[in-house]
Amino acid sequence: MKTTVRYFASIVAALAALAPVYWLITISLKREVDQFAYPPRWIAFHATLQHYAEAFGGGSFAIYFLNSVALAGMSTLAALLIGVPAAYGLARFEWPRRWDQRVGDWILSTRMLPPIVTIVPLFLMLRGVGLINTLAGLAIVYTGFNLPFVVWMMRGFFDEVPREMEEAAMLDGDSRAGALLRIVLPLVKPGLAATAVFCLVFAWNEFLFALILTQTEAAMTLPVGIASRVTQYEIQWGAMSAAGVVAMLPVLVFASAAQKYLVRGLSLGAVKG
Amino acid sequence: MGLELDRVTKRFGGREVVSRVSLTGEDGEFVVLLGPSGCGKTTLLRMIAGLEAPDEGAIRLGGADITAKDARDRDLAMVFQSYALYPHMTVARNIGYPLRVRKHNAAEIARRVEDVAARLGLRKLLENFPRQLSGGERQRVALARAIVRRPRAFLMDEPLSNLDARLRVEMRAELKHLQHELAVVTVYVTHDQAEAMTLAHRIAVMRDGKIQQYDTPSNVYHRPANTFVAGFVGSPAMNLIEQGNRTLGVRPEDVELASFEQPGYTPARVWVTEEMGNETVVVLSAGDRQITARAPSGFRADFDSPAWFRFRAGREHWFDSSGQRIADPA
Amino acid sequence: MKTRVPAGFAWVAPSIAVLLALSIYPLIFAVKVALTDASGAATFANFARLAHDRVFATAAVQTVLFTAAALAVEFALGLALALLVDSLARARSLFRAAILVPMLLPPVVAAVAWRLIYNPQFGVLNGTLRRMGLNTAALTWTDGDSSALLSVILVDVWEWTPFIFLLLSAGLQAIPQEPLEAARIDGASGWQSFRDITLPLLKPAIVLALLLRAMDLVRIFDQIFILTQGGPGTATETVSLYIYRTAFRFSNFGYAAAMSFVLLVATVMFSRSLMKAMKTR
Repeated sequence: MKTTVRYFASIVAALAALAPVYWLITISLKREVDQFAYPPRWIAFHATLQHYAEAFGGGSFAIYFLNSVALAGMSTLAALLIGVPAAYGLARFEWPRRWDQRVGDWILSTRMLPPIVTIVPLFLMLRGVGLINTLAGLAIVYTGFNLPFVVWMMRGFFDEVPREMEEAAMLDGDSRAGALLRIVLPLVKPGLAATAVFCLVFAWNEFLFALILTQTEAAMTLPVGIASRVTQYEIQWGAMSAAGVVAMLPVLVFASAAQKYLVRGLSLGAVKG
Repeated sequence: MGLELDRVTKRFGGREVVSRVSLTGEDGEFVVLLGPSGCGKTTLLRMIAGLEAPDEGAIRLGGADITAKDARDRDLAMVFQSYALYPHMTVARNIGYPLRVRKHNAAEIARRVEDVAARLGLRKLLENFPRQLSGGERQRVALARAIVRRPRAFLMDEPLSNLDARLRVEMRAELKHLQHELAVVTVYVTHDQAEAMTLAHRIAVMRDGKIQQYDTPSNVYHRPANTFVAGFVGSPAMNLIEQGNRTLGVRPEDVELASFEQPGYTPARVWVTEEMGNETVVVLSAGDRQITARAPSGFRADFDSPAWFRFRAGREHWFDSSGQRIADPA
Repeated sequence: MKTRVPAGFAWVAPSIAVLLALSIYPLIFAVKVALTDASGAATFANFARLAHDRVFATAAVQTVLFTAAALAVEFALGLALALLVDSLARARSLFRAAILVPMLLPPVVAAVAWRLIYNPQFGVLNGTLRRMGLNTAALTWTDGDSSALLSVILVDVWEWTPFIFLLLSAGLQAIPQEPLEAARIDGASGWQSFRDITLPLLKPAIVLALLLRAMDLVRIFDQIFILTQGGPGTATETVSLYIYRTAFRFSNFGYAAAMSFVLLVATVMFSRSLMKAMKTR
């Protein structure tokens, strides 16, 4: 295919990818009368920030936003604190009869459970201990989701660091944990950051569990808050799209920060990318 | 006929990596492009192959201009430094690929693959995959794939440099014999001057994108066109001694040694000796210079012991201030 | 049997404990719930009911249709895009970044955007088509019985083709250049070297992308929930949505648990093949 045709096709593809997002952004910035004007106004319209003020200034979406932030932060931190040592343990120690492989596989397989399968029992379990409609309960569940991913990703990164690094440190008198902290972790910092980004993005985007486990205003997350505006009779498009735009911005920023490891994370570590 | 390069030039980002290179290779001739890394020899080879396009100049094969032709239409064969075998195909399919692509029928392909495999000692490996082969075996598969087609020219990009030393010497001889049998013009790139000397009908010594000298191995060795060629070809390297606005060059084998004072000999001290088995290389220090000489294998001398040397008459090379060869001042 | 506890066990133990509590125990609990009826007695009734449930059968069929259709289109488009962008000399990363955006959004946001776009009266899709002169009266997208499933598939294609694109792009990058150059010199045309060299070497990436995507498609929930809630009627109700409805609208946890179990078995079979595919790298 000639070069011009290829570039043209690429531009078409890029536009197709971006147009719906762009449209959403314009809806969030349009006055109500313009939102559904015919013919559709793509570029020339009177912009307003009223929807953003409405959604976040007044209240509920601001709460949802903070909830999402807190949730993403907590569950990511917890998953890293528990998972990084596990990844290190699997990568570095001598395991008999390839147990490290089997444990690793088992940990990864839990990642492949369809969420809907565990949601019924988890709902009942959390209800039993009174953690329904709390951020803490949801944070625990998200930690459980992120943990296998953290272990799998970080193990791959640890495998890439030559053993000689800690061996040299331990010969110099450091402990195993100390070597991990002072020598190895700085070396895998980019991988660690990327893993953290994936966990944050997952928690931020997650919908099903948040929908079922947090249904009160105080505990709702941003995705659920957005979905709740889709009532049967009156959809507040302005506020909803404003919230949608705010919801997607952090993800786009984070994704570009972690882009080097995007492929590795999405393929569960199968592709080095 | 054969291969002709006419003022071929290539620039990368404003820098000329190949500068107005012109040379011809006759049918059946083995041409070697010799030079250090970065001299442009591989780029030149790739332009002949059609993998890169020259910015200026023309390339002709058998009289016809192929400069604008795509690589796949040039009817050349190339052996890459890392062999570039198709990892997912067996040896047999690797070798047969050029024929398959030209839609020869299966029986014909099988026959010619067998033929070529037998010639290169690959019969037993036909059903193996590249990853199961040793370096030398992979190299022979790459060769087989190149010759199965009977192309109009062979191009080789340092095909021996990934082999260990002994295998390299073995394969060198095999390659030379093979090329002689096939009688197709061959362009071979290497940085190893020993390879160039043993294989070539003519060597093109390159530096910074330009050809320094294009001549038979014998002439390149005995009549180097400038100090660069003089110092690059021959091992141990020629001694180059600056004398005013001229440079004197003397090859180590033309340095005569004596262990006691003699008329006409200059005194020096032994800096180091290297016993090679078939000869001894002696490095002398004379004043602020070092002179390398070749001595018979029995030669013994302690560090710092005195020695005397002179240059064999008529074996001196003279170069002017810019490094170009000048006729002997005699 | 005596086994030495490996020294690394202490490092891994907390993770194993958490996963046991949050992944394994719930499964066991789910089985228990599935095997219990309203009064607490043990019974196979839930599983028995599953065999005759036409709604479940419909949901299963729709899930399979959805998965197959979306996967086919996403694969074809993803491959085409990967090859296209890979062949560009400049601005490759710019195009790649743009193409990846749909996949990075929160699925809820993507669904909201498309709900907006799909609105038959006021949405920009029908609006633009009308502008171009088409009669959009029959184009009801997510509101129409026959068009709802297709509309939902379209959204998934828009959202997740970038995923396949990304994985195949990475696969293409990983293919060594020299065999392709050798093929050119051997005389292969562009199509021949694609068919004989590129495609076979791309196979592992293709298999991985298809399996990962298939696994996610089978359990699709978020977008459909926002776009159609499974409707109109049950036209777009996939298995996940039916389970959700059963558990949280009808509060029939037992039956929902039974269905979840069946879904789990289906997914385990997928995961097995995926693990095997990953091992062969």
